[in-house]
Amino acid sequence: MIPTRKFAAVLLATVAAAAAIAFSVHAQPQIQLPMPAPQPTAPTSTLNHNLILLDPAHGGPDPGTTFSDHTLEKDITLALAARLRTALTAAGFTVVATRDSDPSDPLTPDQRAETANRTHAVACIVLHATATGSGVHIYTSKLQPPSPDEDAYPSAYVPIPWESAQAASVDQSHRLAANLASALTKGNLPVLSGHAPLRPLDNLMCPAVAIELAPLLNPAGDPTSPADSDYQQRVGAALTSALQAWRDQAEPQAQSAQPSKMGAR
Amino acid sequence: MIPRYQRILFWVLAIASLLMALVLLRGCEQAREKLTRHQNETPLAAPVATASETVRLAMADDGDGSITLVDRDVALPEESTARARALLTRLIAEYSFKNSAHPLESGAAVDDVFLLDLPLQPPVAAGSKSPTQPPSAASDLAAGPHVPGGQLAVINLHGSFADHHPSGIEPETLTIDSILGTLYASFPRIEQVRFLVDGHPRDTLNGHADLTRTYTVVNTANKTAQPAAQESR
Repeated sequence: MIPTRKFAAVLLATVAAAAAIAFSVHAQPQIQLPMPAPQPTAPTSTLNHNLILLDPAHGGPDPGTTFSDHTLEKDITLALAARLRTALTAAGFTVVATRDSDPSDPLTPDQRAETANRTHAVACIVLHATATGSGVHIYTSKLQPPSPDEDAYPSAYVPIPWESAQAASVDQSHRLAANLASALTKGNLPVLSGHAPLRPLDNLMCPAVAIELAPLLNPAGDPTSPADSDYQQRVGAALTSALQAWRDQAEPQAQSAQPSKMGAR
Repeated sequence: MIPRYQRILFWVLAIASLLMALVLLRGCEQAREKLTRHQNETPLAAPVATASETVRLAMADDGDGSITLVDRDVALPEESTARARALLTRLIAEYSFKNSAHPLESGAAVDDVFLLDLPLQPPVAAGSKSPTQPPSAASDLAAGPHVPGGQLAVINLHGSFADHHPSGIEPETLTIDSILGTLYASFPRIEQVRFLVDGHPRDTLNGHADLTRTYTVVNTANKTAQPAAQESR
């Protein structure tokens, strides 16, 4: 019996040692093994064709423009966003807004852009109002699109600079702005288009435009304030019809990485 | 016979009145010194007579969102930074005139203009031959010149100008484009512009136009805000 016990003990010790050696070999760091470098893959980020992001600018301690009748820009943008949300929802869109109320601590421009970039919305609409000029102003980013010989979506996993995240989408933003302008013109609303150095427009990775409501000049009478509900309703209806058409035109994008905030000011 | 406590009260009040008069006089003197210090117009340099010259101003129009180059006869100093400051002061003054197409409040707008050669060099510590590390944020952001001798203009605006500027994307963008276009027309060496307000970086001009970025000086005339119906992309 004793030799059998010794044999069993030796066998057990041998098995345990073999298991320990096998485990230690398996637990070697992978960097010590000559593994081929992993091939970076450019994840395809498809736009959500039923999702619109609305960004009513200002809010909380930042009132924006104060109009002559003491109306605040932050209240006008919020009211316009509410009207636009209703019209877009009725048209079958899902709407995400950066604010639905007037919080005491609103999101910063960077946080608004982060919210927008996570949604992969088919269009990002930044809403403003002003007492200067007339009609509806449509602005896109001042960034230049990547040159044709420059690969907008390189195969390597390269982070996108935060300050120029919109560059890859700026061509689509121009087309979206043209569609919106056309719809507003059809609705007998004067339109002015341009490019503006506006945050968070440059940080958005979706087709993005800023809509600024200015007083509507009337040939016989006082100008219509951007706070006027009928004026906002007309603008909302025109924008909704343009976005319905845009839903089928927007192109999915392949994106190499999320924008990096390295070097953000 | 006047009671003793009344005599004491009289003298205490008299001394208090005297002390208050002295404090008042000193306060008046200090206020006068402060005012005269700010309004010291003693010439630091001998005035030099300069002839008027024709310069081009990039004038903004809120009505159609356009920038148009117009000629003006202005007497400008020779020194570059003073010249840039005088030119921008004249530009903003034009907007305060009656019936201006881009009305701005009158008052001092540009405190100073600094011209820096590109590319920016990191500051060198005293007694050291190598630049200190890490480089400043400004040197990170400002790229090298496109042509040799290119400059970065740092425009320091008055806080009162920014605070009272009409708020909105259009008016603020037009003001910046007007400044850039005017510098482009008169200062070929200036390639980039950064803005400060009262000597400090500020996020926006008055809630909209981004002042944290480095602007490239380009010809902004007739390039901004064309009517959408006529715009061809």
